[in-house]
This record gives sequence, structure tokens and C-alpha cells, in this order.
Amino acid sequence: MIRRHVYVIGLAAATLCLPTATAGAQDAGLEAWQKIYSVFSHPRCANCHVEDERPRWSGAHYGATRVHGMNVQRGPDGFGNAGMRCVTCHQQDNAAQLHGPPGAHGWHLAPKEMVWWQKSSQEICEQVKDPARNGNRTLEEIATHVRDDGLVAWGWAPGNGREPAPGSAQETYLLLQQWAAAGAPCPAE
Amino acid sequence: MKLNVNGRDHDIEVEPEMPLLWVLRDKLSILGPKFGCGIAQCGACTVFLDGEPVRSCSVTVGEVSGAVTTIEGLMPDGRMHPVQQAWIDEQVAQCGYCQAGQIMTAVALLEAIPNPSDEEIDNAMSGNLCRCGTYPRIRAAIKRAASANAGA
Repeated sequence: MIRRHVYVIGLAAATLCLPTATAGAQDAGLEAWQKIYSVFSHPRCANCHVEDERPRWSGAHYGATRVHGMNVQRGPDGFGNAGMRCVTCHQQDNAAQLHGPPGAHGWHLAPKEMVWWQKSSQEICEQVKDPARNGNRTLEEIATHVRDDGLVAWGWAPGNGREPAPGSAQETYLLLQQWAAAGAPCPAE
Repeated sequence: MKLNVNGRDHDIEVEPEMPLLWVLRDKLSILGPKFGCGIAQCGACTVFLDGEPVRSCSVTVGEVSGAVTTIEGLMPDGRMHPVQQAWIDEQVAQCGYCQAGQIMTAVALLEAIPNPSDEEIDNAMSGNLCRCGTYPRIRAAIKRAASANAGA
């Protein structure tokens, strides 16, 4: 009889605790996502994750938001137009001169479907999870891409007084893993 | 440090942080590329690096691993490049300061797109500024060079 009571109490506790634990994971996942969103929506990242043809100049030190000067456009492959490729000005490293062009290996625009510029937290979250719009990547592949890609890494070390994205590549990698482990929840809006 | 410019190897003693434009003009006396803004915003210093146009004021010589071509390298056998000839035929230049950069970008455009539309010309050339405002003649010269290439 006592054993039976213990069993019933245990079952009830488990039933009560299960939704609580899931909600906890959900909250932790959303908390991790919010930090990821603060990175992805930062100008160092979002300026080149646009859905039109033109990268943006924006951020703390840029004054008013503008489209990239010199009629710079995406071009057929995301690396600029014939005669004015991204690499025409953006070399392997930041130019040392004040107001000179920043640089990193493989400077280019993100594909149009990976749009972050002026998108909400929920919109970016859903895009990141959608293989049709994330380069057909798993969440783990996204995390390692963020950790290891040279152009992505520039966002945390933009140099010349430009405001870096929050945190670091490694921290963002860990946040993406935490978010994925929590079921990759997206905020409701 | 070794640097190949216009098909010729050079041994140079410079700091790797020195802009390529400085090396070309001050160390090698190759004066076609011009200093305009120094921050890759005007295009006067445009040269080719492995065939791609780059603003040589904003490339450090330490970043250069391939062959450099300046406007002097467009006519290795002494014959005018079709784009240079078109520039003369259309009398494009006014003061001329930006024109070496303009011509290099035009050559790169025509190599990628042999018969460019007005929009494709604008997309390629908008990073090369001309304070004399020779843009209509630049466009005409590019079209003339495209026609000459098609007829060749």
C-alpha cells in the first residue's frame, strides 16, 4: 500500500514536472536565441544580409543609414558586378587608412534568401532554421560556419573604430548549440 | 620581396604594409596608376591583380601574391589596346588624371562582358570618379571598343 502511494505520488510529480522542464528548456532556448539575434541583426552582419541588390552602410559610427556608395551591387554571384567586384576594394585585411575599406577573405553578400536586414527576431529565427533559406545547412553546420568562416569572423574584429558584433565567434557558436539543444525555439510575435 | 608587374619580376625592399600604389609609383617609377583619394573611393589607382581590378592604394604589397598589371602593361608589344584606341578616337580625356583607372576598369568590364549594356557599363564604372565629367564619352568609348572587338 505504501509502495503504491509512493508510485502514484511519483507519477503525479513527473506529470507536473514534465511541462515545467520543457518550458524551462524553451526559455533557455529563447534566451540563447535572443543573444544570437543581437549578433545576426548587428550592422556588422546585417549590412550584407540584404534582400535587394545593395549592401548597406549603417551602424554606430556611420551616421545615417545609407546604401553602399559607388553604385555597388550584388552582381550575378554575390561578389559584385563585372569591373567592380567586391574584391576590387575589399582585400584580405582591413585597409589601414582611416575610412579605408574593410577587408576579409572572400568579401561578398549573403544570398538573398538569408535576409537579416531590418527583419524581426522571429523572421530571422525561422529563416535560420529553414534549409531552403539557410544554404541547406543543419543547425550544427550553421554553428560551425559561424565559428569557422573567415568573413563571418570579421564581424567581431572589424577594426578601424567600427563597432564589433556582440560577443565572439566562439560564444555565438556555443549559443547556437544551446539553442539547437533546446529545440531551436523561435519567439512569437 | 618579389613582385611581378607587367610581366617583369622585381626585387623590392619595402615594408609589407606599404600600399601597392606606393611601390608602383615611388619604387618602380610606374606612374600610370594615380593617387586620388587613398581610400578606394575614386578608382584613379586601379590596376589588375591576377586579372581582377583592384584599387592599388588600398592593397598592401604584402597582400599581393599574383601578377600586377598596370595601364602600361596593356600594350606589351607597343600596340595600343583597343580600349586605349577607343579613348583616343572618342577624345575622352579632359584633364586625364582619372583616365588610367577608367581604362583599366573598362578593360576588365569588356573582358567579362564583351558587349555591355548602358546599365552594365554604369555598374562597372560607377566606382571610377571623373571630376571633369567625361562620363558620356567614357560610355561611348566603351561601346566603340566593344564594336572594335566584335569586328576584330
